[in-house]
Amino acid sequence: MAATTRRIIALLPFTWVWWILGALLPVIAIPRTPAPPTACDAFPRGEIRVGVDASHAPFAAYVNDTLVGIDIDLANALAAQIGLPVRFVPLGYDGLYDALYADQIDVLIAAVPRDPARTNRVLYTPSYFEAGIALVTSRSSTVSQMSDVSGRRLAYEFGSSAHSEVDIWARRILPFTRMPYQYAAYALDAVRLGQADAALVDTITLHQYLDAHPEWDAHTPRIILSIPYVIALRIDRPSQAVMVTAALEELRSSGALDTLIARWL
Amino acid sequence: MRIQSRAVNLIQWAARLGLLIMILSSFLPPPPRAILGETHTVETMRPQVCVHTRLIDEVDEWKIAQSLQYVREMGAATIVEFFPWAYVESSRDQYNWASVDRIVRHTENQGLRVIARLGIVPEWARPIDQEHTSTQNTLTPEFYADFAEFAAEFASRYAGIIDEFIIWNEPNLAFEWGFQAVDPLRYVELLQTVYPAVKRANPNAVVMAAPLAPTLEPRGSPNGLNDLLYLEALYENGAADYFDALAIHTYGFTRPADDPPSAETLNFRRAELLRAIMIRYGDTDTPAYITETGWNDSPRWANAVSPPQRIAETIRGYEIAESWDWLESMCVWVFRFPAPTFNYPDYFTLVNVDFQRKPIYYALRSYARGLAQSETLWLPPPVE
Repeated sequence: MAATTRRIIALLPFTWVWWILGALLPVIAIPRTPAPPTACDAFPRGEIRVGVDASHAPFAAYVNDTLVGIDIDLANALAAQIGLPVRFVPLGYDGLYDALYADQIDVLIAAVPRDPARTNRVLYTPSYFEAGIALVTSRSSTVSQMSDVSGRRLAYEFGSSAHSEVDIWARRILPFTRMPYQYAAYALDAVRLGQADAALVDTITLHQYLDAHPEWDAHTPRIILSIPYVIALRIDRPSQAVMVTAALEELRSSGALDTLIARWL
Repeated sequence: MRIQSRAVNLIQWAARLGLLIMILSSFLPPPPRAILGETHTVETMRPQVCVHTRLIDEVDEWKIAQSLQYVREMGAATIVEFFPWAYVESSRDQYNWASVDRIVRHTENQGLRVIARLGIVPEWARPIDQEHTSTQNTLTPEFYADFAEFAAEFASRYAGIIDEFIIWNEPNLAFEWGFQAVDPLRYVELLQTVYPAVKRANPNAVVMAAPLAPTLEPRGSPNGLNDLLYLEALYENGAADYFDALAIHTYGFTRPADDPPSAETLNFRRAELLRAIMIRYGDTDTPAYITETGWNDSPRWANAVSPPQRIAETIRGYEIAESWDWLESMCVWVFRFPAPTFNYPDYFTLVNVDFQRKPIYYALRSYARGLAQSETLWLPPPVE
């Protein structure tokens, strides 16, 4: 058998070439991971077109004809991480997703939460900001979860998302005293002044309130309703989503994301 | 023995009959999930009060019933509701009216008048060569006749129940025009196609030209075109013969309702400038409907006011509109959303997702029904 094989090989021209090829075969045959897309592969225009809603401070707003805010800083930081320039496209709220579908923008960074109804056309990154409803107490309070609110006084803004949560919890736990106020800030005043035991407010209001009342030692034991703000990208361009998500995670792990948000809240 | 076999026979026939009823009943439409009670009428002292609802995306029928009950109790006699073409005719010439029917069933039960806004292009009627750049608002001229056919089918089916139609929405904005170049002439061509078809289907139909978005975008802007310029262009291109009424969108933004109209300002009384254009083009007898108006009370939106201001300006807006004899109805945007946006659009609503009625709901109810507002909705601000 071996003699036959040797005779066949001897018939082939350049026998030594075949020996080398045979030796290299295992190396050639091993499937190789494709090279990760470069920034220019993912964004062939050589820039990242970012859709923003410039009417929504502190996320994006015009100050002296300049776009500023969390979403603007985040877009700039992501673009720097990816290594491409950014071009902002100001949009109205109603047209945010249509601009993405119609290829007017590559990325949507506009304080939007994940929308399950759009996931057939949109990829979302992990959250960059938690805009949910928080349970807020004073540091000395023994209230650490919603069931502790039973028998106590709970403040909230009338007609807000927090109000809806209060209605839900009223059906889940033992009775508590409802304290509706006209504004979320009044609900926080009530807790700070000891006139309520806890408040439910959105985290943006809470950040802004604490900024205005640095002396208050508030405690936020729990997010009652999570509303994560995310970045939206087209589903038919997954390499863009991979790149933006990687850049976002890099900003998060380095602490740059927290620093960036703390600049505005 | 004979009696026994007859009894067995009877049982067998009863079983067969039962099986037959089961099979036949599977062909019947399912019973409505929200039971209709007695038919109501709207008690109101101000029949021009109207609200824009968003019911078509509602999954639970009881939420449609609950919303419309609250609308009636508020004293609003009319609603504007959006009926997407894409929902009804998702396959060409195959009409599924179920979602429209169930809304109509409840509006009739509550005694409400419905203005139908038509739009949203089905997948099959979108340009194939623009698969990655078109949207649900991209209607190209080769499909105008299909849209007209749908509108005519709608008008025919609901004649006598729904007689007022808004043809498209804010075509002066790029995104509402599917990111095609904003072009008044194209919209006139759409009206020219739709108007005769709807009139043939329902001679009593009132066809409204689309409301324009209040905007100051100049000519050549990629985002849209100033509503005043756009309306002038509609008249210049012969639109007047193809609509029976003009739909108007006018918002207060951060300005009071009394703020005087000015071409450079977006405010509530901008509606008067649109009316002035109608008169200038001799369209004096054509009425107008404000199909979206209002103020927003988001704590963070740049174009919002405070909740008490929102209430005061909305009521004042209605008082001003009482003297506009050219106005048929004025509809507040928006009664309720089926799901929260968790963003400032939630602060346009009168009722939240969980049917919590907001202070502005009660204020509008007091205005529409002539009731004194007595509810105490919130506590006074805490004092140190």
